[in-house]
Parts: sequence; C-alpha cells; structure tokens
Amino acid sequence: MTSLSISAPSGSRLLRSGFLLPAILVAIVAILVVAPLLRILFTTLTPEGIAAWKAVLASPLSANLWWRPLLNTMILGFSVGAGCLLIGGFLAWLVVLTDVPGRRFLGLMASLPYMIPSFAAALAWGTLFRNSRLGGSAGFFETSGLAIPDWLAWGLIPTAIVLIAHYYSLAYTIIAAALSSVGADLVEAGQMAGAKRPRIFFGIILPVVTPALIAAASLTFAGAVANFAAPALLGLPVRMQTLSTRLFGMIETGQNERGFVLALLLIAVSALFLWLSDRIVSGRKAFITVTGKGGRTKRFPLGAWRWPLFAIAVIIGFLTTVLPVLVLAASSLAPQSGAVFSNWTLHFWIGEGGGEMAQGQAGIFRNPVLIDAIWNTIRLGLVVAFTTMLLGLGLAYTIVQRRGSLLATLLSQLAFLPLLVPSIAFAAAYIALFGAPIGPLPSLYGTFALLVIAASAHNLPFAVQSGRSVLGQISADIEESARLTGAGLIRRLFAIIFPLAIRGLFAGAILVFVKMVRDLSLVVLLFTATSPVLSMVAYRYAAEGFLQFANAITLVILVVCLAASFVAHSLQNRVQKWKAP
Amino acid sequence: MNALATGTADAIKIRSLVKRFGAFTAVKDVNISVPAGSFLVLVGPSGCGKSTLLRMLAGLESPSEGEIAFVGQTVSSGAGGVIADAGKRNAGLVFQSYALWPHMTVAGNIAWPLKVARWPRDKREQRVREVLSLLGIDTLAERYPAEISGGQQQRVAIARTIAPQPSILLFDEPLSNLDAKLRIEMRSELMRIHRATGATSVYVTHDQVEAMTMATHVAVLNNGRVEQFGKPIDLLRNPQTTFVATFLGTPPANLIPVHRAGDGLVFGDMVLAPASVAAGRDDAQLLYRAEDVSVGAVAGAASLMARFAEAAPIAGRTMVTAMVGDLRVTAMADSYFTATPGEPIPLSFIRTPDAVFAATGERIQQ
Repeated sequence: MTSLSISAPSGSRLLRSGFLLPAILVAIVAILVVAPLLRILFTTLTPEGIAAWKAVLASPLSANLWWRPLLNTMILGFSVGAGCLLIGGFLAWLVVLTDVPGRRFLGLMASLPYMIPSFAAALAWGTLFRNSRLGGSAGFFETSGLAIPDWLAWGLIPTAIVLIAHYYSLAYTIIAAALSSVGADLVEAGQMAGAKRPRIFFGIILPVVTPALIAAASLTFAGAVANFAAPALLGLPVRMQTLSTRLFGMIETGQNERGFVLALLLIAVSALFLWLSDRIVSGRKAFITVTGKGGRTKRFPLGAWRWPLFAIAVIIGFLTTVLPVLVLAASSLAPQSGAVFSNWTLHFWIGEGGGEMAQGQAGIFRNPVLIDAIWNTIRLGLVVAFTTMLLGLGLAYTIVQRRGSLLATLLSQLAFLPLLVPSIAFAAAYIALFGAPIGPLPSLYGTFALLVIAASAHNLPFAVQSGRSVLGQISADIEESARLTGAGLIRRLFAIIFPLAIRGLFAGAILVFVKMVRDLSLVVLLFTATSPVLSMVAYRYAAEGFLQFANAITLVILVVCLAASFVAHSLQNRVQKWKAP
Repeated sequence: MNALATGTADAIKIRSLVKRFGAFTAVKDVNISVPAGSFLVLVGPSGCGKSTLLRMLAGLESPSEGEIAFVGQTVSSGAGGVIADAGKRNAGLVFQSYALWPHMTVAGNIAWPLKVARWPRDKREQRVREVLSLLGIDTLAERYPAEISGGQQQRVAIARTIAPQPSILLFDEPLSNLDAKLRIEMRSELMRIHRATGATSVYVTHDQVEAMTMATHVAVLNNGRVEQFGKPIDLLRNPQTTFVATFLGTPPANLIPVHRAGDGLVFGDMVLAPASVAAGRDDAQLLYRAEDVSVGAVAGAASLMARFAEAAPIAGRTMVTAMVGDLRVTAMADSYFTATPGEPIPLSFIRTPDAVFAATGERIQQ
C-alpha cells in the first residue's frame, strides 16, 4: 500500500516536472548539431584525414587548396561587409533620420533584395555582362556591341557586387532598427547643449548605433564568406575559388577528407570573425538605449537634397530588385541569350522538345524533372518549416522555463551553434555523419530525409529565437490565470497558448519556408538526382550554359517565395481577428 | 538673483503664443511673464499643451503666432520662427526620459555640453566635479547610464543640464518615472538646486501637488489655454474657473450643481444659498471645500443623506467620500470614522460656498 502510494505520484511527478521533454530535446540537439560537427572533426583525425590536413595546409597543393581561396574569401568578405555597411547604412539613415519623401516606399524597397535568392542577381549579372572569352554565347552588352572586359564579366568584382546587392538589405534592416531606437530626446539633448548637426551625428547618433554597425558588418561578412551561388556562377568559370566553392569541388570529386578539412577551416574563419565582432560589442559598452518618449525619432530636414537623395535611393532599389527580375524574365523568353529583348518565345517555359532550340530540350513546364523539383521544393519548405517551428517552440519553452539552470544554458548554447557554421560546411558535416551506414541504419545520403534533418538543424538558431519571441508574447500571468480556472495543460495549450502564439509561429514558419525554397548552399551537397530541388536544378542548368532555363526556374522560385509571403500576410490578419492589421 | 537688479525685463515673457499642428491647435493664445529667479510650474492634464509650450521655450519647436522673449530678447516668434537656436538661449532642458547618452559615462554625459561650448579642459573637469557633488553622485562618475538606477539617472540628467550654468532651467515631467518616495525626495532636491543655481525654472507636470509645493508661479493649462495664472495660493483661494477649482487642492473641492427656486439656490430639495449669489442666473455651481462639508447632522446647517463610499484618515481627521445620486462629495469627519459602503450617512454644509460658478464654468464675481 505504502509502496504503491509513493511510487505512483513520483512516477507522474517525473513526467509532470517535464523531465521527459528536456531529455528528448537534449538528445535531438545533440544528434542534429553536435554529432555532425564532432564526426567531421574526427573523420579528419584518421590517417587519411591527417594526410588531407597536410595536403591542404602544408604541401605544394596548399596554395591552390587553401591560401588562394582563403585570400579570395577574405577579399569578398571584407568588400561585401564594407559595401553593405555603406549602402545599407546610407539607406537606413535616409529612411529613418531624414525627411526624404516616400520613406515607407524606400524602406520596403531596401528590404526586398534579401527575399530574392543571391543566385538570381548572379544569373542576371551573367545575362547582361558575360563576355565571349569562355566561348558560349555572350551577354546582352557584348552582343549589343559593347566590349566587356574580363574583370567586369567574371571573378571577384562581379561576385562582390552581386553579393553586396543581395546582403545590403540585411545591413539596412539591422541599422534601421538601431537608428529608430535612437530617441528624439537624445538628439534634442544634444541640440540643447548647442551642438551642430555634424557634431550630433558623429558624437551621439553614430556611437549609439555602433554595436548595430558592427553586427551588420559581421553578419554580411559571414554571409559573403559562406555564400556559394555567386562565386560558383561568376567565379568558377575563370577558376576563381573561394573556400565554399573549393569545398564543394572537393566533395563533388570524391576527395571527401580534403573537403572536410576545408569545411572545418571555413567554420573556423567564419566563427572567428563573428566571435571577434561579438567581443567588440559586448562588455560594459553593450549599452541598451534608454528609450525615448514613445519611440519618437528626430528627422532632419534635407532641404534641397530631398529629391536628389530620393532618386539615388530609388536607383539603388531598382538596380538590385526590379532590374534583376526584369532581366531574368526577358532572358527566359529570348532564344539567343545575348539578344535579351528580341524574338521572344515561350519555348523555354512550355516548348516541346526535339526542335532546334536549346539542343532539343523541352520547356521547363514540360520537363518531368522540373515538375518533380517544384513539388519537392515546396514539400521541403513545408516540412522544414514545420519541424523547425516545432523544435523551436519546444526548445524555447524549456529554455525559458528553466532559465538559469545548466540545462537551459546548454540547450541555448547548442542551439545557437549552427549560427557560426556556414551552411555548405554544415552540409559537409552531414555527409561525414550520414554518408555511410551507421550500425543498422542505412546511409541517408541523397535522401529527402537527410535534407530535412540538415535544414532543420541549420535553422535551429532562428527557430529558438522566434520561439522565444512567440512565448514572450504570452506572459506568465496569462498562463497562470488560465491555470487558476482549473484548466489542464492540454486545454490551456489549445485555448490560450496556441491562439496567442499562432501568428508568431506562422510568421516564423513562412520565413523558414522562403529560406529553404531559395537556398542553394545547403542543398548543393546533399542533393541527388532522386530528390531534386528547384535551386539545384537552376544551378545545374546555369553551369551547363542553359541560362534561359536557369533564369526561368529562378523566376519560379521567386514566384513561390512571393506567393508564400502573400499567403502569410493575408492569413495572419484572419487568424487573430482582435489585432488590427 | 542678480538679474532681478539689472533690469526691468522679465526673465521669461510669453506673448499671444499659438502653436498649430495641421488643423490641431495645441497651444492657444498663451500670455505669461515671470521675473528672474521664479519657479514657474505649467500644470494640466495630459494633452493640454504644456509640453509643447515647454518645447517652444527650449527652441525645439517654433511658434505659429506670438513671441517668446528671454530677458527682453525675442528668442522665438510666429513671424521669425526659432530666432535663437536651442543651444544659444542659455537654457537647459531636463527630459522626462532623461535622454542620457548611453555610450558616455556619467562624467562624459555631464562634460559633453561643456566640450561643445568649448570650455577649457581644467575648467570643465572642475565643473563636472562640482555638479557631481552638488547632486551627490560623485561615486558614479565612471559608470554608464545603463549601470545606474532610475533615480540616479535622474540626478545625472539634472547635473548635465545645470553644468553649463544656464540662466533658464526647463523640466519636462522629470519626476514622473520615479516611485512615490523618491519623487518626494527629489522634489525638495530640485528646489534646492533651483535656489543654488539662481536660474529661472519652468517645470511641466500633471501633478497638482508638485505645482502647489514647488511653484512661485503656476499656470493651469487646459485644452491648450491658460485657465489661470498666478501665485499658487491665489489660485487655490481664488479659482476663476471650475476646472482650476477642482484640479488644484488636496482633497479635491466639491462642486454642487444648483438651480434657482424662488429666491434660493437648491440642490435636490435643499436650499444651499440665496439666489443673489448667482447674480440672477437660473443654474449655477457652488464650490464647497472638503472642510466645509461635515459628516453628521449639524444644527442650523443644510444637510442631506448620502451613501458612504470610502474613508481615508488624514492628520487626525478622516476624509470621507460619499455619493449623492451620481455626485461624488468629499467631506471631513472629526477623528476616526468609517462605515459600510452604501450605508446612508448625513452630510452637513457648515459654511457658505467658497465660490460660485456659472453652469458653463466661469466664476461669478460677488
């Protein structure tokens, strides 16, 4: 009797105290994040691995395998970081701190490029600027009689430009958020002290947003370092290698160990810079702005410069969002890839195969591989969005509930680890772990499941962050007041927590979906013919010189992303009727 | 204080000041003058235009009409806009949010305006030390704003404002973010600093207690207009509108609506005053202070039954609030008094009304 009455409650207490959920989460995070990274490290410590380290770092080959790609990667990283800081910072200043006309419109335009995959801009660049040096058809300008020098057609400069055009909007978002947190009071206090505008800008505004500037620079740096699509499309044809294209090339040609070594080095480079920037920002000077009255911001009059600066901002937006899309669209209709605006045909979209055009290949909507890829891509996006948000919610709940405990610290640190790992290196780690059968489990290489697992793992930092912000909207009071009515956990979950969290979860899920649909660098290594996805098919076409097909597919990706954002927007206002749109 | 002797010009003179934001008029025809060394409090409910008025004094907004002059010099006007820039008026503003620059230490925050004003280094350092010790925050000099408490931030904000020795100090609800105890402490602290600097101060608040305790001059604002301007005690004794009468004073005074019946002014069926005090009007409002209404029946005084609402002991007596129909009446009871909410209690009007107002709110002079 006594033994029964003791054991029964203790068993249920074990469950109720939530021992099970954290245990499962720790296991999942360990398998998703820690295992692949440890595995890739240990693989390079085998005799073959040691040989690969030597080949990469200390051999006649190392200049080609490591030093030159490292140099290119660094040049790209620094130039993209600086370029994004300049352009994103300029636009953020213009939109947030001045009386420029059409501020909302400019803000929207500045945030768009990040929604467009970076290979869209790279493809558009190629369509316009490629020259005939490498054979194949020339781009629009050369066909129109303008000689395009090699440095403008291929290599570092076009790659850097394309990456800046993609990542500046990330810098804009970060800097604009920081600038709008600089309360008008801070500025007016400077005015009261008699400081002139330049003095206020350099003495108050700039120092206050410095942490955001450093964050923007380091995130765009990391993005450029990890990017695969742009250097692959614009650099590989002239043998310009970055660490990520080198790593891809090694694994593609079966030199896995060397690829793994490069992946570890790429992780080290990217993590080092992110860590350094974090060190600069944190510490005593990691000030939180003491917020002003109602978040009012001070807007400076531009005077005669209002319209000229507006025009510059519009041109930047046009060149980085509208123009690439227009070029892709026109090119997908042009039979000759150089003559973008003549003899338009729908052949590349719906044409039947077997004719003269495109070496007899059918249009993309008649191509069974492509139809397959569309469904695969959407399926991948949906499944990963679901698993990511589920994991994120579970992790965030556990971390928040057990704030301060060792478990919470461990979970949040592990979940943020993928942030330091460029996605192509992460994919390499997954190949290291799942490329061969593990015990009774078959090799997952090339399966849809592996794509899902790797993508979920890579999205963990974002998932935990959005899970936390979702839970942050549900105060402990709300949950406790429901508990006082006697409602059980399940009931509370469905009646209180779920309706309040759904909007945030939905927004997070859409972002994950869009990220997956336009991702190339993660899927490029994990993809196989049995699980094609759109971005990979587009990349293949581009690599084989069928620019029109690649451009058409990229447009399909864009349409899917835009449709997802639109659906999200219109659904969000419906699920939570009590919130004003 | 010296300014008093130097000339006849008022330290601050506001003339016919109007401020419009689009179709909305925030400040309507304001006229206020105060001599040097005054402590002017602008008091009123939120949205009454008091902060806009202060920002015009600071030079952060330009007036739509009228003008502002500091010691005889026009600094802003409807015609000329901001004539003297915010930094050139020898005025300092303490923000409600404190507006401390988060990337500078406490000492850095205080020193920066001096740097802008090109004070030499040694004088600057000496002045920073001086104001730090005047505010009693010497030990915080090297901290960042995020590392100190709200009350300390408040002191830093004041220190930063007085460091350049402005002749006019402007305060925008500086105490509203502090807890009750700290607020009372800072109140006397602010008055001490006001006296120590000899500056003319303008202080914006919605708290009438702050206005009554700190001001040499009070302007009560409502809907962008000055309802009444004068010494605090005059406003309390001689309110010109029902708004002023009910806004100032603790506990709040009672306004009893009455109408004429025969030659008396009646409330319900009780005659409270002769019809003559309303100067022939049919409707009026009578002002009774809490101490003019007593709990319990008093021989010879008009009395009525009210429903008890709540009681709060104050300085040996009890402030009793009771409902007469929908009207809230505050009365005083000697010693300690309490009752069950809803219980009928008698209230007696033991003195004649302190003032008589028209139904529209303006004072009827006797």
